[in-house]
Amino acid sequence: MTPALDARALGKRFRRAWGLRDCTLTIPQGAIVGLAGPNAAGKSTLLALAAGLLAPTEGSIAVLGCDPLREPSVLADVGFVPQGAPLYRSFTVGQAIEFARRTNPRWDAMIVASVLGRLGARTKVGALSAAERTQLALALVLGKRPRLLLLDEPFGGLDPFARREFLKLLMDGVAETSATVVIASHVMAEIERVCDDIVLLAGGSVRLEGRVESLLESHRILMGPRRPIGTIRGVREIVRERHSDRQLTLLVLSDGPIVDPSWTVERVGLEELLLAYLAPPERLQPPKPPERLPLQWHG
Amino acid sequence: MTRFCLGHESSSQALAARVESRRQVLRTLRYQDSFSGREPHTRPRSRYHPPVIQFHLDPVSGVATYLQIVQQVKEALRLGTIEVGDQLPTVREVVADLAINPNTVAKAYRSLESEGLVVARQGRGTFISSTLAPPSLRHHDALRAELELWLASAVRAGLEDESIRALISATLRQTRSRRVA
Amino acid sequence: MAWVTWQQHRAQLVVGLGLLVALALAAFGTHLTISEAYQRDGLPDCLPPSTRPGCDLIVAHFQGEFGSWASAVRGLAVLPALAGLFVGAPLLARELEHGTYRFAWTQAITRRRWLISKTALLASATVVAAGLVSALVMWWREPFDTLQGRMAPSAFDVEGLVVPAYAVFALTVGVLAGLLLRRTVAAMTATLIVFATTRLIVLTFLRPTFMAPRHRTVLATETGLRVGDWVLSNTLVDAGGRQISAAREDLAILHAQQANIDPHTYLVMLGWKRIISYQPAGRFWTFQIFEAGLFVALSTAVMVLTVWLVRRTPT
Repeated sequence: MTPALDARALGKRFRRAWGLRDCTLTIPQGAIVGLAGPNAAGKSTLLALAAGLLAPTEGSIAVLGCDPLREPSVLADVGFVPQGAPLYRSFTVGQAIEFARRTNPRWDAMIVASVLGRLGARTKVGALSAAERTQLALALVLGKRPRLLLLDEPFGGLDPFARREFLKLLMDGVAETSATVVIASHVMAEIERVCDDIVLLAGGSVRLEGRVESLLESHRILMGPRRPIGTIRGVREIVRERHSDRQLTLLVLSDGPIVDPSWTVERVGLEELLLAYLAPPERLQPPKPPERLPLQWHG
Repeated sequence: MTRFCLGHESSSQALAARVESRRQVLRTLRYQDSFSGREPHTRPRSRYHPPVIQFHLDPVSGVATYLQIVQQVKEALRLGTIEVGDQLPTVREVVADLAINPNTVAKAYRSLESEGLVVARQGRGTFISSTLAPPSLRHHDALRAELELWLASAVRAGLEDESIRALISATLRQTRSRRVA
Repeated sequence: MAWVTWQQHRAQLVVGLGLLVALALAAFGTHLTISEAYQRDGLPDCLPPSTRPGCDLIVAHFQGEFGSWASAVRGLAVLPALAGLFVGAPLLARELEHGTYRFAWTQAITRRRWLISKTALLASATVVAAGLVSALVMWWREPFDTLQGRMAPSAFDVEGLVVPAYAVFALTVGVLAGLLLRRTVAAMTATLIVFATTRLIVLTFLRPTFMAPRHRTVLATETGLRVGDWVLSNTLVDAGGRQISAAREDLAILHAQQANIDPHTYLVMLGWKRIISYQPAGRFWTFQIFEAGLFVALSTAVMVLTVWLVRRTPT
């Protein structure tokens, strides 16, 4: 099946620096993918390129098999919620819906109504709270029944309660439309909750990608007294090493159960795992050639 | 009917109540064609019975989400909260309640189906199709004896309680996920 | 797109209508006074070139009475610029400034079609409004045009076909400025500067050359002016055809005064003449078509450039 998003050596240069460089990424249809990374990692740039708002400096990007700049008709199938959910402030909710309805070939009023819930049609967009505006933006993109949903930091300005409510609406919409979703965010808790796959971007390039489940299952934190480390049974590779005077903490990639009694073994949270991979490459061990690993490591 | 016997007044009230509840059902089932905003719009609930089971998610337990759902269904079966013929909440309902990935819910339901506990009827939903056999007490004694032997070997090998527990839970998880995946 | 454009520019339309109504009211209100005076003073019999006695005075009195109003009308030349400033400049600048382009340009309508539809609709409305203003001014200025002609910039710029053409030009310049500068206030400023400069250049250097100017040679005593013509230059030359500087002219007049001769007669005796270069009044509509056509062509070029560039924004 055509991938929902297919980037090949994609690069985008702004006046001063490269926002994205040599990014190769394939997202299959039906997946819910989290795009993680620090600020200025290139997440917004990647999404803007996918939505046809920017032109690539090098490489190519295809969404649902089409170049969004050369074949803008594919945008009828792509829903983009930009950061901050920008909408015309002088419009009312009803007018915003009408705008989206008239500029898209396909419109599902039912799903719009179900997402908006109690939000009044006469309220001005400028008077909405951040949470309500994001909710409206979601309703407007779901109304066109997109096959690909791109969300850029949808949780910005939302308290945890509002975040959870938004996620419920989003997942409900995804269940209804079977859309592929790419969420760029640094709220790890929510990403971990809903995403099948995760892509870690930093400094404009992909550092890590893989299924969330496999990543969490294959990494462990080992703690023990500080000493020279030999081979530890069950450990394939040491990703990160930290030590104090007496104690050694390792983040490792495992290929089996680790039953060495000299180490305390713990699972690692997604956020901590991603932070470890964000460390500058020199501090990481050189990767061994992967055999049958479900994840890829990009230096 | 305009004339009621005194004793049947309640039946006319019941009739009125049934008519009203049917009207309410129709109201919630009827979706507005365009969002005109003339009246506040409630999220349409396409069911008219409350869900038999409500799932909860423990994000830090280390157990995969779909497995938690599977476990909760099995627990409910064991406890008798749900019975054969009951309908599990739809994927949309679970997702709208928990804010989790619809694929996860689908995976859990498929796993239950592969174990023969539920059956998915196209367009209608997922229904419980059989109960769990209560664990036979007979097996308990034999298993316990084996476990004691194994524990003795583990202690002889130098494993501490923590390591033993770690090994057991890790192996248990792996066995489960391998069987279901 | 019609609904979209209407929704987003409703306020501008209302303000524009309000302006039109205010103008119309002012015009109708003052017209009454003017036409009354026109009839009462007997101006219809005194229309130039009339040599009836006393007509000069009557005409001068009339012009003196309403001259300030006529000058005020000249100020309406700024109206077309408003189209550029308040309709054209914010069109793209506001979208880019507030980030709403990320919403507008990710729907299924292409950027180009969005821009072209919007601009075309707004341009049509602008043309209609400007046309109404032009018609209103022409109707109001009728007595003055009869007395002074309308080739001079004070009348030419606010009548006829050029008003809609200026407005459309200002609009398209505004849109392009908004695209390039991405800030509303900056775009408005740039639009004003470009519009004013272009108008000034066309008025000063191009309009006089639309058709070859006519020349007339008259004696130094006569003014040689005919009502309605647009005088481009009025030079004094000596018998050999050489232009006479102001200093030389002053010297000659001084000599005449010293010799107790009437200065004008003295100049004629010297053989000096006046050469007047002008555009005749009859060329009004031809020039209107030329200038309007020029500005329409400029607008088209600007629009083509904008549509070509919009694909590449933001860079």
